Amino acid sequence: MSTAAPGHRRRRLLARPGRTLAEVLTLLIALVVAFPLYWMVLSAVKHPGEIQSSAPRPWTTAPTWDNFRRVLQVEGLGGYLLNSVVVALAVVVLSLFLSFLAAVALTRFRFRGRTVLAVMLLVAQMVPVEALTIPLFFLMRSVGGVVPQLGLNHLGSLVLVHLAFSLPFAIWMLRGFVAAVPRELEEAATLDGASRFRFTWQVLFPLVAPGLVAMSVLSFIHAWNDFLFARTFIISATENQTLPMAILVFFSPEGNDWGAIMAGSTLLTIPVLVFFVLVQRHLVSGLAGAVKG
Amino acid sequence: MPRRTPAPAATLSLLVLALAACGPPQVTSGLAEEDDLTGTLRVWLFDEADRGPKEEVVNRAVAEFEAQYEDVEVDVSYLQVDARSERFTGAFNDPASAPDVAEFGNTDLAAYVEANGFADLTEALATWPEAQDLLPSVLDTATVDGRVYGLPWYTGARALYYRTDVFDELGLAPPRTLTELRDTARRIRAARPELYGIAVGGNYHYALMPFLWAAGGGLAEQRDGTWRATVDSPESRAGVDLFSSLLAPDICPPEQCAMLTGTQSVQVFASGAAAMTIGGDFNRAAVDAGEAAGRYAVVPLPGTEPGTIAPAFAGGNLLGVLGSSRRSTLAREFVQLLGGKEYQREMYAAMGNLPTFADLQRDLADEDPAVRPFVETLRAGTRFVPPTPAWARIDAQAVLPTMVQRVATGESVDSATADAADAMNVAFGS
Amino acid sequence: MRVPATTTAPGDARPPGGGAPRRRRHRSSDLRIALLYLAPAGLVLAAMLAYPLYQLGVISLFDYGQAQASGGAPLDFVGLDNYARLLGEPRFWTVLVQTCVFAAVCVVGSLAVGIGLAVLASRVRVVPRMALFLAALGAWATPAVAGSTVWLFLFDQDFGLVNEVLAGIGLAGMENFSWTYDRYVAFGLVAAQVVWCSFPFVMITVYAGIRSIPADVLEAAALDGASPWRTLRGVIIPMLRGLLVVATIQSIIWDFKVFTQIYVMTNGGGVAGRNLVLNVYAYQEAFAASNYGLGAAIGVVMTGILLLITLGYLRAQRGTEES
Repeated sequence: MSTAAPGHRRRRLLARPGRTLAEVLTLLIALVVAFPLYWMVLSAVKHPGEIQSSAPRPWTTAPTWDNFRRVLQVEGLGGYLLNSVVVALAVVVLSLFLSFLAAVALTRFRFRGRTVLAVMLLVAQMVPVEALTIPLFFLMRSVGGVVPQLGLNHLGSLVLVHLAFSLPFAIWMLRGFVAAVPRELEEAATLDGASRFRFTWQVLFPLVAPGLVAMSVLSFIHAWNDFLFARTFIISATENQTLPMAILVFFSPEGNDWGAIMAGSTLLTIPVLVFFVLVQRHLVSGLAGAVKG
Repeated sequence: MPRRTPAPAATLSLLVLALAACGPPQVTSGLAEEDDLTGTLRVWLFDEADRGPKEEVVNRAVAEFEAQYEDVEVDVSYLQVDARSERFTGAFNDPASAPDVAEFGNTDLAAYVEANGFADLTEALATWPEAQDLLPSVLDTATVDGRVYGLPWYTGARALYYRTDVFDELGLAPPRTLTELRDTARRIRAARPELYGIAVGGNYHYALMPFLWAAGGGLAEQRDGTWRATVDSPESRAGVDLFSSLLAPDICPPEQCAMLTGTQSVQVFASGAAAMTIGGDFNRAAVDAGEAAGRYAVVPLPGTEPGTIAPAFAGGNLLGVLGSSRRSTLAREFVQLLGGKEYQREMYAAMGNLPTFADLQRDLADEDPAVRPFVETLRAGTRFVPPTPAWARIDAQAVLPTMVQRVATGESVDSATADAADAMNVAFGS
Repeated sequence: MRVPATTTAPGDARPPGGGAPRRRRHRSSDLRIALLYLAPAGLVLAAMLAYPLYQLGVISLFDYGQAQASGGAPLDFVGLDNYARLLGEPRFWTVLVQTCVFAAVCVVGSLAVGIGLAVLASRVRVVPRMALFLAALGAWATPAVAGSTVWLFLFDQDFGLVNEVLAGIGLAGMENFSWTYDRYVAFGLVAAQVVWCSFPFVMITVYAGIRSIPADVLEAAALDGASPWRTLRGVIIPMLRGLLVVATIQSIIWDFKVFTQIYVMTNGGGVAGRNLVLNVYAYQEAFAASNYGLGAAIGVVMTGILLLITLGYLRAQRGTEES
């Protein structure tokens, strides 16, 4: 069996008319999936009276930047953006390494209590987050007494809590990816005399890359979109708020400013798409690309 | 996470032992004993979508205060209304993060007081001359068990918005009683089927309350220290029945209206799809931005007899001093400055917030005809929700909306109100 | 990303039973390395999840509200009262059943759409695939409140594009149709929104999984003349079984805990609360009024129910695997 250029062969898997049909279908589905997003952006450039008008049009004749302007004028927005980036990236990088190591330990090693640990990872995700905010608040208050940077009112508390909430999922998911790597690879590497550690980083890590990427996209979205902990932990230090908090001001008991909320949500979604475009190469290369060597 | 896992039974017994051994976290530090007259006074005010005008007035007050007190700096931060519950919870649970002065909604008062959050201002207000002119019914919204915990900073009331063009075309006059309101709404929808007779909603309990109160009913009464629901009294039932009858196909069909909230009801009116709605003075901007702009007028919501006004719910915000404040004298002084007549008048000019002083309100009604119906409503006497922390639970459980929606979808008034009363009594009892 | 290109296809370079004794010799050091690898994540999880979880259990045994937390009232140990109150509430059981059915529909929907589109994506060239992935990622990344609201705008009875289009193509009855009034229509709309924002996870993980299947295997299936459906059932699903189990469990956990979509789209639980799900119920009963003791009890009960469902699912999976 030759492994030369499997990509070329794969392309020939579908006959030409069949493939064209599949591609048209794919594009149509992409349009349907993207339509609510389009509507969000459209609402963001509509005038306030036009967002809920009795004659909805899938376009607007007089686009306005007013909604975006109102969002961009929120005081301290630049700082919020920076805070969000710092928290999200810290969570992604930390959870990437921590979850990978833990996933390897849980799948490539046999020891007592392995299954229980795995189930604990699930249990951790099942608890409704709202129920945990009070214990976490008091925990953060105590942590802040020892290391202020990791306590209430500091970004460190957000990193810690998002890390804790993305780890169980990331580990749990990576287990599947690590387990999917054939044992034979490991044997080959061991026979070659590679140490376990080097094997982990030089062989397993790249092979699990697609899983790591999918997982990091999720930790990123999770940390990026969070309202709950940002408003629970950042009490008096308003300069440490994150980006979603800037949108909250447009929710008001006297009526929500939907134009600004849509504009803000559009702005929030863009970095995630950028992040995705940056990592998608690795997602697509994945194992198939890696073993081509 | 335990590295070695004992058998389940052992885990369980360990857990029970541990649970019995120690309780949940609790803040132990009580009220502050210090009273500094220098340093930084921290103030929390609510953020607004367009905060500029509010900030200008507040900055003037801060400048005046800082000029008056040397070595005092006032640090104002604005918090999102939508995040208020977490922020205030945080301030109560971590006094180090708490401000000295805060603005808060009067419906949150009872729960905040129960949480030990705000200081008693009864004596301070008793010795403050301006307090004499505070409207008693508005001051009631700052009172729990006879003690005042906040200075009413502004108030609001709801009245009846109606479309002048529709009323003119059909030769109608604004209704003089609530029953007439229903008949008028019916006639409008019969003549103009594309319009809702009146836009109100099942989730709009501040529109429901005046119907209860006008009929002589109420939400709950305090007897011997405990609250008992009265929504199932004959008078209250009549009010619920009348309000629910608005959510009918011939006025505001339940498919469309059963779930509307207050702001959504106003939005429907603003878009031109309804001939009437119940809205507050704070809703005028929204209506003026929609199709109904320039084609509407406002009158007080009528009561059961011609010439009467249905008691309105007194909404509004208070300024209070946090119980944990270490600068309580300064904090009280600042509350009296920012919440005093001078700055309330400025806040009205900047934000349209209705003042809480009787004399200021009279002046405004003379100056600006647009606020007159709201001021008249306020002066006719307003009512409030039961000032008990249980109300937060009743509110969260959507007891009143569920009651109205059940009637609107065909259940009997008697059973819906009886169940609502039961749910309320459970909340009061706990 | 450079790896020796020796062992791609299964059955290709399998040393017949040769690895077993060697691995046994490594066993003693295994535990040490495993602990070393587990330690960083374990520390974070022990401090940030296990300990708060333990406290959740403690809180559920107390009458514990905001007043108790901030020192305004003394602590009151109530034993299992919070649980008794919850389980004695008839509405809790209605909501529980509703939540299970709703979550099941969402899980099946997300999996079907996600797997189907992953297979489709693996068979098209890069441009349409990227278009689909970008759209899906956008749906996934949209803040839940904004996503729910946009869907509401689209399906609004008076101002919505959907009703206008449906009326335009001759369905006159749809002109003022309310998508949020009837219990089942409302649940259906919310489920569609949930599927919209949760299928991307399934799609992307399954797609990554399909790419990890050696090309030769898929090629062999194609040469045998297997239809896409047969390839999916005969090759992809068995090879990705572990991955699919993970995706299913994740979907169960997420969809069981849906909050924002129901809260926003049905205005806090629908007409007279008939669209409530457990998490919204917990919010209404406990958290909105700072009744943390009851909230903690609901949290514990919810976790228990989810755990039962998940373990049941895992057991069923193991059963089919063995048979």
